Amino acid sequence: MGIDVGKFLKSPEFEIAITTYRDIFQVEALEYDRFGEEYRKLSAVIIMSREDMKKMGIKTGDRVKLINDHGSIVVEARESKREEPGGIAFMVNSPWSSALVSDDTGGKGIPEFKNITARISLTKNDISSLENLIFNSGEVEKNER
Amino acid sequence: MPTVMELYKLLPKTNCKKCGESTCMAFAVALLSRKKKVSECTPIIEEMFKKDREKLESLLLPSSGAGETGMIVHTELCTGCSNCVVACPVDVANDPRGAGTGGAPTNDKVIFRVVDGKVVASNIKECRRFGKNRVLCYACIDPCPTGAIEFV
Amino acid sequence: MITCTGCSLLCDDIDVVIENHRIKEVRNACRRGAAKLKGCRNRLRPSIDQTPADIDTSIKRAALILKNARSPMLYGWSNSTCEAQSNGIKLAKKLNAIIDDTSSFCQGLLIEKVLKKKFRACSLDDVKNKADVLVYWGSDAQDSQPRHLSRFSYFPRGESRQRGYEEDRIAIAIDVRESNTAKICKGHFYRIPLKGDREFILSLTGALSGKVPKHDAKRILELADIMKKAEFGAIFVGIGLTYSIKDDVDILVALGDMLPNFHILPMVGHYNMRGFNEALFKETGFVNRVRFDSTAVHENKYAIVEALKQKSIDALLVTGSDPLSCLPGSMISYLASIPVICIDPCVTLTSKISKITIPSAVSGIESGGSAVRMDGKVIELSGIVENNYLADTEILSRIMEEL
Repeated sequence: MGIDVGKFLKSPEFEIAITTYRDIFQVEALEYDRFGEEYRKLSAVIIMSREDMKKMGIKTGDRVKLINDHGSIVVEARESKREEPGGIAFMVNSPWSSALVSDDTGGKGIPEFKNITARISLTKNDISSLENLIFNSGEVEKNER
Repeated sequence: MPTVMELYKLLPKTNCKKCGESTCMAFAVALLSRKKKVSECTPIIEEMFKKDREKLESLLLPSSGAGETGMIVHTELCTGCSNCVVACPVDVANDPRGAGTGGAPTNDKVIFRVVDGKVVASNIKECRRFGKNRVLCYACIDPCPTGAIEFV
Repeated sequence: MITCTGCSLLCDDIDVVIENHRIKEVRNACRRGAAKLKGCRNRLRPSIDQTPADIDTSIKRAALILKNARSPMLYGWSNSTCEAQSNGIKLAKKLNAIIDDTSSFCQGLLIEKVLKKKFRACSLDDVKNKADVLVYWGSDAQDSQPRHLSRFSYFPRGESRQRGYEEDRIAIAIDVRESNTAKICKGHFYRIPLKGDREFILSLTGALSGKVPKHDAKRILELADIMKKAEFGAIFVGIGLTYSIKDDVDILVALGDMLPNFHILPMVGHYNMRGFNEALFKETGFVNRVRFDSTAVHENKYAIVEALKQKSIDALLVTGSDPLSCLPGSMISYLASIPVICIDPCVTLTSKISKITIPSAVSGIESGGSAVRMDGKVIELSGIVENNYLADTEILSRIMEEL
């Protein structure tokens, strides 16, 4: 069985709802070194239900692009180890998830950190680096081709 | 950790009661909770069951890292929340004003303490799963949401 | 015994082993606290325009930037001591600046209600000694305030709760996700859809007054029954619930009013966010988002998020926070375009784009002071590791002197 190139070429997009949460291991990594590999590894991840992954043809370890009007990131997909009803994916709070958060708060000053919608598709691009997220917002898009 | 069924299948299944249990199934349960030893099953000592006996013994061998009670702390899963420190009945009895009321342990008699954000077990012989009046206690396992404590 | 600044529980039963001016071993603190106490790998150095500078020059330049700014903002404060916060408020007054803190897009809404006594509150010690029903709502304490359940709520023996948690207490989790806290609550976990909190509150208030809920009636009636029978209940409100009902927080006030035996406690993350809210409230009657002029003016446009979105500030002093690591990504470019002064012990994402960086001692470890626990109790901080860094309080005083 070779690599299914066609799958990547087409890379169908799906709508996905994402909420954010806190993970103590990621917070620990943040305290030690927010520029470190461990923090990136624990942050640049989207956790999905088995059903949703199956439906979208995504497997644990696949790289996925998440894009909406506010930003675009590449993270790793991982299947949730818990019972999930599906229809919602999870990301830890980090510059990666924040890249997808709208700055429009209706003038009230509280962004929807926990209520993100984006489009998800498989990608061959590298996981977004922190430098990319901070210093060149939007570069991810340009690097696409 | 083996299941009761896995152990049962390796027993003579004669329900001879020589071990003191009413059935081989009950003996399998007792083996799993370490209330009985394989050698207490007299028929299995016989040569014809040698293979089964060896298999049983290897299944029941404590995994590496397990203490005498069979306790393993998976430090990589531990969040250091201290739920086990406070919920352990031995810790409550031995340090009622410290660990028992949610605080840091105030003496060396407790089983659980947290060092560098991860739980460390000591005084393992005080554990209720150990000794003559042992009971199958789950007081440290139930409050742990990450499965960091295991008995094998 | 020292105090941990890992989160707003400010655990003051921590032992440490110090070696070569660094904490080598931490006892009794959780994983989060131990990481905080052991400190970051990369300490910040003084710099101007990302070029090394001496600290005195950095402080002088910082003062100059603030003095010349038309509309400066002083932001952060949730990882600063009460003393530094109070200096920060003084500085804001002196500069006629805007001052805001992380509560602006976190628990500020609820802390304000607490300080205005809209909720029945109680101390965490009361929870430990008296509480029999604990509701974690949109809060994963296990990961954010890891010792909350073991020190104060579910597991400890308290004055009127002597028999252990299985008999004496019921813990309930209401959440979108089966968090680690929800796992502990087992049979009492209520999974709600994203943004479903409002509807759940309405169903619950309905059930409390005898109405049969439309969805999940059996379980919601059971929950209402447990809550009604509580002798001493506590709702721990996590950021999940706060974000979900941010446009109508009064719905939670109404729920609290229906439950006379219940207390509402916002769960705070950073160790001294509440300290800032209390200090500013005492001074101005507002918990955040204030501009000082002849008087203190509170407006949403003084929220960090709005100020950056509207590009209305032209200089930013940041201390006790790393806004770049938590603000919406699209705000970073404007933030990076204005002069930022970063006071922090560690290299942060914000320090990387700052015009001026001023290293400080790690508050609570390398410098002492006080902080306010999430329930309002003032806790002394230790300052036990010897060092040559200036405390954030001193840095702010020095900036004021330079003005």
